[in-house]
Amino acid sequence: MTPSMRALLAAEWRKVTTTKMLWVLGLIAIGYSAMQTVMLTLIASGKLPGVPAQGELLLDPDYITTLLSQAGTAATFVLILGIIAMTGEFRHMTITSTFLAAPRRSRVLVAKMLLYGLLGAALAVITMTVVLIAAIASLAPFEHAPITVSVFTTVLAGAVIGMTLYAILGVSIGSVITNQVAAIVTALLWVLLVEALVGLAFPSVARWLPRGALNSAMNVGLTTDVSGGMTQADNLPAWGGVLVLLAYAVVFAALASRTTLRRDIT
Amino acid sequence: MQRESGPVLQVESLTKRFRSVTAVQDLSFTVEPGRVTGFLGPNGSGKTTTLRCLLGLVRPTSGRALVGGVPYAQLPAPVHAVGAALEASGFHPGRSARNHLRVVAAAASLPDTRADEVLEVVGLTDAGRRRVVEYSLGMRQRLALATALLGDPGALILDEPANGLDPEGIAWLRTHLRERAARGVTVLVSSHVLSEVQQTVDDVVIVSRGALVHAGPLSGLSSAGGVRVTVRSPDADRLLPSLLATAGVSAVPRGDGAVVITGLDAAEVGHLAFLAGCEIHELSVEADALERVFLDLTGGTP
Repeated sequence: MTPSMRALLAAEWRKVTTTKMLWVLGLIAIGYSAMQTVMLTLIASGKLPGVPAQGELLLDPDYITTLLSQAGTAATFVLILGIIAMTGEFRHMTITSTFLAAPRRSRVLVAKMLLYGLLGAALAVITMTVVLIAAIASLAPFEHAPITVSVFTTVLAGAVIGMTLYAILGVSIGSVITNQVAAIVTALLWVLLVEALVGLAFPSVARWLPRGALNSAMNVGLTTDVSGGMTQADNLPAWGGVLVLLAYAVVFAALASRTTLRRDIT
Repeated sequence: MQRESGPVLQVESLTKRFRSVTAVQDLSFTVEPGRVTGFLGPNGSGKTTTLRCLLGLVRPTSGRALVGGVPYAQLPAPVHAVGAALEASGFHPGRSARNHLRVVAAAASLPDTRADEVLEVVGLTDAGRRRVVEYSLGMRQRLALATALLGDPGALILDEPANGLDPEGIAWLRTHLRERAARGVTVLVSSHVLSEVQQTVDDVVIVSRGALVHAGPLSGLSSAGGVRVTVRSPDADRLLPSLLATAGVSAVPRGDGAVVITGLDAAEVGHLAFLAGCEIHELSVEADALERVFLDLTGGTP
């Protein structure tokens, strides 16, 4: 019996829980998202020194959606987590013992994509919970539109789907660009800079790119313009965003199986 | 504990080129179970590449490398079939040795208790929960060995396992490998220094510049190169002709009255000197003959 998928998943779980990376990136992702939510509440409240009141923003139900959607900020960290899942193996040459135990290499890639997808989903749930608490706490002193269960569950569903897919995408990117620094820098430049510019110039193109597809999948695109030009109106349907992101992951994984997974491990 | 004999390792007409560099050139040899085989050659002679081909990590340009008749990737339970220790650097620095072993154990469907057992075997029990970043080179070598032993494999493939080990560790390694071989395990150990494995190995496979130069039992190595006998005599001029008259013997005067002879043992040289009536001031057999033969074969310098 070559290693079963169950055994490979168990090994991947061991790997990710026996170093600090998951805890560090997870905490940063959760903390950063919650901080964004609090900041946006304070900005809209007009109570920050030097910031003029933003009209009746807090009374707008859409703005409540925007506050909760800050959980989506965590997606970038989940992407990095996925990238490190693969590049870390090459950086520390643990890929040798990984492939010695599982010489059918594509199964390792599949196991990583599955496990990190699950981790992305779990992180989304935790992040959403913390963001919800942050929103309730920071909104308490102000008059605001209600945080309804339906708004929360809609955003939650989007975050779970989006972060699951971003983790899988990260693993596939890391298996194509195995140099850790190069992979992270490339991915960050792409989602934070290139896509922001494309979003400004061609919003209809941006929705076909990973970040735009993520926004579509999460169905959150901001009502304001801070996401880089794309607004909710530019989004693909949520299922379309899911398919586009999955397609990217599949294309990268296929590319990796023809390159990285065939490469000599020396 | 008795076990069935381990798999035969076969390298057949193996060639590996990395771009323009030929690392291994038409190399063939066989490694038998129940014996310790030394895989010897200078640094850069293609040993590591050959071992990585055997382990399915490097794809041969041509030829084959087989474990028990099949390529590594087709082994039904690789960690149980072959234990490999390739280099001391393949660990995540932030992960403890015990957790490293538990990762591999999980992939091989082995119980976690195996991790503690092999830590005990290599003497790392007390350090097992420390992160690998705190480990010395010798400790990493022990951890690499522990990883190799995890599946109680039928074959062991160890790349320069003595590097960084203290003398005590080397002695332990020697005993341990002998015991494994005695139980039927196939053991292949590489080294760039013959003297390091001389007391451990039964067979040697010697490579130089990626090609085979000698394969066979260690005992056959000295005859392959010829042991040198030095004789010093004030009457060397009279002795030389009788030495040269013997078939298959080479005798080279060294200038200080000494003659270096190959093809005869010390007793035969002494007998010839006696017959020639020569006074002998020195009659000595080269001390580290094997090492010199090894260096001659591989074209290396001491």
